[in-house]
Amino acid sequence: MSEPIIEAQGIRTRLGGAWVHDGVSFRVGRGELVALIGGSGTGKTVLLNELIGLIRPTGGVVRLFGTDVWQASLETLNALRCRYGVLFQDGALFSSLTVADNVAAPMREHLALPPALQSQLVEFRLAMAGLPLSAVDKKPAELSGGMRKRAALARALALEPELLFLDEPTSGLDPIAARAFDQVVRTLCDSLGLTVFMNTHDLDTLWGIVDRVIVLSDGRVIADGPVAEVARVAEPWIQSYFAAHVPHRGG
Amino acid sequence: MGEQAAISTLWHLLRADAEGWRLSLRGDWCLDRLAAIDAAIPKLPIPRDAIVRLEAGELKALDSAGAMLLVRRLWQAGVAWSNVRRDDLPARHRHLLDLVEQRFEEAVLAARPQPNMLARLGRAAADGLREIHSRLRFLGHAAASLAEVVIKPSHIRPRELFVQLEQVGLRALIIVTLMNFLIGVVIAYLTGIQIQKFGANIFIVDGVSLGVCRELAPVLVAVLVAGRSGSAFTAQIGAMKVADEIAAIITLGLSAFQVLVLPRLIAIILVMPLLTFIGDLAGLYGGMLIADLQLDISHAAFIERLQAVLKLKTVLIGLGKAPFFAAAIGLIACHNGLRVSRDSRSVGLATTATVVQSIVAVIVIDAFFAVLLSELDL
Repeated sequence: MSEPIIEAQGIRTRLGGAWVHDGVSFRVGRGELVALIGGSGTGKTVLLNELIGLIRPTGGVVRLFGTDVWQASLETLNALRCRYGVLFQDGALFSSLTVADNVAAPMREHLALPPALQSQLVEFRLAMAGLPLSAVDKKPAELSGGMRKRAALARALALEPELLFLDEPTSGLDPIAARAFDQVVRTLCDSLGLTVFMNTHDLDTLWGIVDRVIVLSDGRVIADGPVAEVARVAEPWIQSYFAAHVPHRGG
Repeated sequence: MGEQAAISTLWHLLRADAEGWRLSLRGDWCLDRLAAIDAAIPKLPIPRDAIVRLEAGELKALDSAGAMLLVRRLWQAGVAWSNVRRDDLPARHRHLLDLVEQRFEEAVLAARPQPNMLARLGRAAADGLREIHSRLRFLGHAAASLAEVVIKPSHIRPRELFVQLEQVGLRALIIVTLMNFLIGVVIAYLTGIQIQKFGANIFIVDGVSLGVCRELAPVLVAVLVAGRSGSAFTAQIGAMKVADEIAAIITLGLSAFQVLVLPRLIAIILVMPLLTFIGDLAGLYGGMLIADLQLDISHAAFIERLQAVLKLKTVLIGLGKAPFFAAAIGLIACHNGLRVSRDSRSVGLATTATVVQSIVAVIVIDAFFAVLLSELDL
């Protein structure tokens, strides 16, 4: 593996008097589409927030693009933040802005584009995320859950990131919308050379588009590998997790 | 061909040859350079049905933003994508360009409608009418529910009512007393300075008592209650609306109106005259203190004069306005709360709207009473 894009080394997290993570380590290479799975309350979202520099882990090292997130100066960190995009669980779109302004917000902050070019780029980003342009001038509250996720994806892609974090990208979507969203992510990953790291519960996403699965249980990584391999690991939680669904593809 | 000179910039080299046109890309076609490239290549002078061969040449990097600009320039020149030869590009650039071209077409073809002035005017008018309709409906609903409660008092929910009585009344006591006391002090002090010049010290009692009881205390209490309880009503009901709690109340077979609106409305209408009475007392006491300190009018003299000049009628007019203020505040606050939409931001907007609208309503009602009462010679 060449220089890893994400590197987590021995992450330990203590929350509310209990160890949520007790030595979590993994690496993600360029162009990989990796999913993190684990039961509810195993600290998947906490781990994601630690990777993107929102929550400080109690111990351990997080490196993005080779830079230690928790040693970096604010300047370095902000430069780093332009290189990755984050899709939060409910989109986290700014509710007072239209969809177009939401996507334009990071461009306005970090790029000095002429207005015409910027609006072309905004429309193009929305098209990349698969959002119909009729939604461009709407407020986030007027959109359905699936549309909100796509708008949020367009915002996450605004600055041409190399790395994309997705927190439960398909939760709250109907199966058709969820599969369509999966395909958008896969296409972006393949064509733009994006590295994608996601939290998910969705077995269809795992079997459908994911290259590699990392399983978190009892604060540790208990399995790490391609989906088909991980599904065969003789561990009670993994077995019951994968037994919950009969794969219709590749299984 | 030769007659066509090659065009080159830092970012591209365009030349025509026997097979058609060759477009060689140079440098970083990336998002951070996008503005520069956009300015450097305003258009590609390629005829409409030309065959264009793309070459990576000295291309250092290509990302989706750069690809979008390239596709857009070719599209602007009228070159069909099927006439663009991409075989000389590295595979990853080819894939990227193909995806971008596909998405770009979707973006360009689905031109979005721009609403014109007339459409916007019409929409604003329709929104205005809908707003009036919604308010009238709510008013009617409230009146019908209140009438129903008068006929069947068992429909009052005592638990909710008493909670609201405590919230709106008891807990507002301190601030109402304090504010009215201060206003009494200020009025007495400022009037006293003028009155002293004429030696008409005792008239301080007339001024303070009339001003406080008839106008100041009712309006000030109403403004305080609008800011304190009106905003709370909207925020509470609005937050419940966002969390689908109102839908839950309805599916439990209860009336959201009876559970949420009526207790608040009854509580605020019952409590407001009482708070106004307390406000009267506090204001008069403030005036009495200043009269003693500034004008040497003893408390006994103040009260004696008060009995002579403050008519019961004046006090009753002041107290009589309070329920109308209360009804306006309660109706506006509950209505705005129920109209909150799905997102949490609208709770904040509705709460602000409640405070502004109810204070305006209080002052308008007060002006209406002033005119009405003077016409009636009261």
